[in-house]
Amino acid sequence: MARRYDSSTTTFSPEGRLHQVEYAIEAINNAGTSVGILAKDGVVMASEKKVTSGLLAPARISEKTYKLCPHATCSVAGLTADANILIDQARLRAGRYAYQYQEPIPIENLVEHVCNYKQAYTQYGGLRPFGVAFLFAGYDESHGFQLYQSDPSGNYSGWKATVIGANNQAGKSLLKTEYGSSKKDDGDEMKTDDGPEGGIEMPDVAEATRLAVKVLNKTMDGAVASPEKLELFTMTLDEDGSCVHKILNEAEAKAVIAEVEAESASSGDT
Amino acid sequence: MSILEYNGAAIIAMAGKDCVGIASDNRLGIQFQTLAMDFKKVFKMNDKLMVGLAGLASDVQTLDQLLRFRMNLYELREEREMTPLVFTNLLSNMLYEKRFGPYFCEPVVAGLDEKGQPHIATMDLIGATLSSKDFVVAGTCEGNLYGMCETLWKPDMDKEVLFETLAQALLASVDRDALSGWGGVVHIITKEGVISRELKGRQD
Repeated sequence: MARRYDSSTTTFSPEGRLHQVEYAIEAINNAGTSVGILAKDGVVMASEKKVTSGLLAPARISEKTYKLCPHATCSVAGLTADANILIDQARLRAGRYAYQYQEPIPIENLVEHVCNYKQAYTQYGGLRPFGVAFLFAGYDESHGFQLYQSDPSGNYSGWKATVIGANNQAGKSLLKTEYGSSKKDDGDEMKTDDGPEGGIEMPDVAEATRLAVKVLNKTMDGAVASPEKLELFTMTLDEDGSCVHKILNEAEAKAVIAEVEAESASSGDT
Repeated sequence: MSILEYNGAAIIAMAGKDCVGIASDNRLGIQFQTLAMDFKKVFKMNDKLMVGLAGLASDVQTLDQLLRFRMNLYELREEREMTPLVFTNLLSNMLYEKRFGPYFCEPVVAGLDEKGQPHIATMDLIGATLSSKDFVVAGTCEGNLYGMCETLWKPDMDKEVLFETLAQALLASVDRDALSGWGGVVHIITKEGVISRELKGRQD
């Protein structure tokens, strides 16, 4: 049934779906997982590096995490070639905004621009959509630290914590129970943002990094977490108020992985 | 009246031993009327590179903003800093792009290359580059500046001597020029970083 309505981006199916866009989203579910977590003093993005060959020359700084401007970075899941185009678009947009207004671009503005660019490929031209999902981590003065997710349809939303790529549903369900849980809770109800009592308490960056590693452990199901397979990125502010984009080095990543292992061992999980 | 002499400027860059210096005056005027005595004409591009822009004030500020945009984009894509030589070529290219409607600006580039060696260059408003081993100048009192630099410059000056030389050359040159002066600022770039010092000059 879908066969007749799925080969053109510019055609709705009778059920009101855009199949090409949905197939693009499927392509991303085969890509390396990326988890993003908003903390009270920063944003954390952890990604699974899919090592295809030991003969591969090392990527520039990263194949998953890309700086867009002094106060925003994104993490990629999906077709790297498609991602490169969009990352360049985002960098140009951020640069032009800063040139025009002599001010850093508000993060939502940047995300929306990239998403509008993606959306055009779902409506005009007969070209296929981009097979990329992004996590955007950024800081601006009006809204502080923010985390956004976008997909091939050009849709985006802001998150406190989210996962893209392979096994993202497993990651998301773990985040639902673990994000913002205080120590007293037994953690099996879904947390809601109702107020100070029983509400979500944002983790700090260190806690968020550990939680991110925990999520990746789950989504990589069975594979042993190690610095070669994980890339841990944090964004924080330094004393002058400028953003610090940091990819943890091997020693720091090992330390976090070890902490997470110790935590899970002591709480009796297998 | 030449459009390049509308606002007034004096810029010098000099090479020392493992260091460079770049100095400018502080005046902003509209022909004979002085408007500001703290107008920045030298801009830091990164820890090892500064550019001074002499000419029409609007183009001075616009070029600074444009250069910042291009440098940031380069650093994001290349994941490394732009070297002074590449920067000079970029600037020359940007100016020539506007060959038939140019920016009224004569830039002076001063920086340390990857090996820590001094790099200084100037160009005309359409990008004809002139690189030099000793000094380069630009502004409304170019003749004065050339004369002072030719007299005072010597090779292998360390950063303190370089500072003195730049300061004396600049202050003596701008005193005979109505359109530049009102104090000055000198930046010395070494591998440790940039040291900037304000100059007290004749406030006329």
